[in-house]
Amino acid sequence: MILKQKLRDTLSGYGFMTPAIIILGVFLAVPVIYAIVLSFYRVQLLGEVDFRFAGLRNFIRIQDDERVWIALSNTIQYVLIVVPCQTILALILALLLNAKIRGRSWFRVAFFLPTVTSSAVLTLIFMWIYNSNGLLNNFLRFVRLPTYNWLGDPEVALKGIMLMNIWATAPLFMVIYLAALQDIPESLYEAASIDGATTWEKFWCITLPFLKPVTFFVITIGIIGTFQLFDQSYIFSNGSGGPDNSTLTIVLLIYQYAFNRLDMGYALALTLILALTIMIATLIQRYFFKEESLD
Amino acid sequence: MRKLIPSSIAIALLCFTVGCRSNNTNQVEITLSGWQSSPNEGRLLDQVIREFEAKNPTIKVKREVINSQYMDVIRTRLIGEVAPDVFYLEAFEAPSLIKYGVLEPLNSYIKPDFKLNDFEPNLLNAFKRDGNVYGIPKDFSTLALFYNSTALKNAGITQPPRTWDEMRAAAKKLTVQKNDQVERYGMGVVAELPRQTFMIKAFGGQLVDQNNFAAFASPQGLEGLQLVVDQYRRDRTAAQASDVGANSNSEAFGQGRVAMTLDGAWAIPYLKETFPKLNFQVAEVPKINDRQGTMLYTVAYVMNRQSKQKEAAWKLIQFLTDEAGMKTWAKQGVALPSRRSVLAEMNYDRNPIYSPFVSGAKYGTIWQAGETLPTIVTSFDNQFVSALLGQQPLPDAMKRAQETANREIYLSQ
Repeated sequence: MILKQKLRDTLSGYGFMTPAIIILGVFLAVPVIYAIVLSFYRVQLLGEVDFRFAGLRNFIRIQDDERVWIALSNTIQYVLIVVPCQTILALILALLLNAKIRGRSWFRVAFFLPTVTSSAVLTLIFMWIYNSNGLLNNFLRFVRLPTYNWLGDPEVALKGIMLMNIWATAPLFMVIYLAALQDIPESLYEAASIDGATTWEKFWCITLPFLKPVTFFVITIGIIGTFQLFDQSYIFSNGSGGPDNSTLTIVLLIYQYAFNRLDMGYALALTLILALTIMIATLIQRYFFKEESLD
Repeated sequence: MRKLIPSSIAIALLCFTVGCRSNNTNQVEITLSGWQSSPNEGRLLDQVIREFEAKNPTIKVKREVINSQYMDVIRTRLIGEVAPDVFYLEAFEAPSLIKYGVLEPLNSYIKPDFKLNDFEPNLLNAFKRDGNVYGIPKDFSTLALFYNSTALKNAGITQPPRTWDEMRAAAKKLTVQKNDQVERYGMGVVAELPRQTFMIKAFGGQLVDQNNFAAFASPQGLEGLQLVVDQYRRDRTAAQASDVGANSNSEAFGQGRVAMTLDGAWAIPYLKETFPKLNFQVAEVPKINDRQGTMLYTVAYVMNRQSKQKEAAWKLIQFLTDEAGMKTWAKQGVALPSRRSVLAEMNYDRNPIYSPFVSGAKYGTIWQAGETLPTIVTSFDNQFVSALLGQQPLPDAMKRAQETANREIYLSQ
């Protein structure tokens, strides 16, 4: 009797989940499996559709493809600079806004604005700022500093995108930090004050450890987001990844192979490599955060 | 009353569908896709299309403008089987589309009275393969030397440079410095393969070998490109658009930030509309190595092989490219008509602004080189920019570009 009841519960549970399972299956699981399978094929979609099993050829090709390595090193450089910067900036902003300053809610809105703006629009605005006759150079000229061709020089083009992205995504993480900061019980700080802790000690021994799970979340999401950098560098370089491959990212390269060259199989192989890279990066930092967050 | 309303709606719907059906039996709709460089151009094309619809009441033409990433959109739609019936195709994209068999061969449609041999053979050949014609060139343009007449006069240069050496000398005179900032450069450069292929050919170099592998890094090919790099790096009298804060070469020229530049006929309406005060003239591209050379670009109307309205689609192509249609179209001056008779009749060869482009058609290098070209372009552009910026010597850069391109071509086969 109890067993039957249990079965009925299970069935009705799955019954309620069916729509979600079907939708996720069709739009999530099937494409993922399809992508993994097709990355071992040579796919020709234009004209006569043609699939030919290629074994590991697509993956061997990656080894010899210079542009993959350029894109990968650009992307990793981007992640290594942007993620720490935006996390620290987000934390600083959150701490500032958590302090009892006047016009706090106004500042919160002002800081949050860049996140709401579409990244395409942001990119266009920043391109205008970086333009050789743009805002930045005019300012530099005004204070008698040398001006620079920010958009045309391969050495700085990617840094320009980094700056823009840090500025645009930090506020989003700031909000998350802010929520976490307000969860820290005031009594802890009071107890620390009685023990004679300085502000710095309070921050180091109370605030930071409390923010650890949130920091893990922020960094993970940050890494995934930065690894998938596409729209900014696409608009920046008009889809080419130039000047001199300096803004070429993995996703942009995948786009180029998939839609310019119609080399779907190879593009999918690259996608798998990207997925693998992101998973490894996430695992590595999970390892680092787990050691102490057990308690 | 309650029953009356639904039933009357039902009857109305019935009449409506019947009405649609009777309309549908003899009316077909075809789609024409292309890009558009100015609203004027669109208005003119709309006018031609209305004339066509008036003459062919059974055909309705839907015009669609795709301005960004045109080929990516077209290719994706071809795969999805929702591509337009007729669309623009640039010569350099033609080989790959022809190879994949997505274009309808037009031989069976072309009747003798269409006068196919009136087209400039250079242009028509770009869309031919194995005796089949896959596209009818709608127009063409070459590169020519645009120069700022006021700037040249002020610098004491009486006639436009005829050789590359004269051009470099003129560019030196035309470069203006003010408070250790260059106010104006002599020459505007576009460091891209579509604009530089004729420089590779100037001393006998080749873009690709017979197997469509990149071959531009030969000593002959380098000699021509070195001229561009030298002017940019050694003379410091040339600038890219981004160096002077412009979005395009034409804009830099229009703003007076460069005094001369090589550009196509499409820049003429743009310059006249956007910079009405600009005083400019056009001359043929200066001779290099005692030889005339320039680039030749052409665009054709092609028919989608999957089109369900092929007869109607051909009628449209025919109307747009026969003598009358081409005449209407050519009035806008963005590019030159591809029919020799129309070109002669409209006196383009005697118009001082347009004649340099017309002469270029005879000796120009057509912008096309087999289906591997997209790979070669990416690789070339990347390395050429770095050579231009002085990050590596030109021979090394070109050698790397060629090796990268060829490895990629080899691996993708």
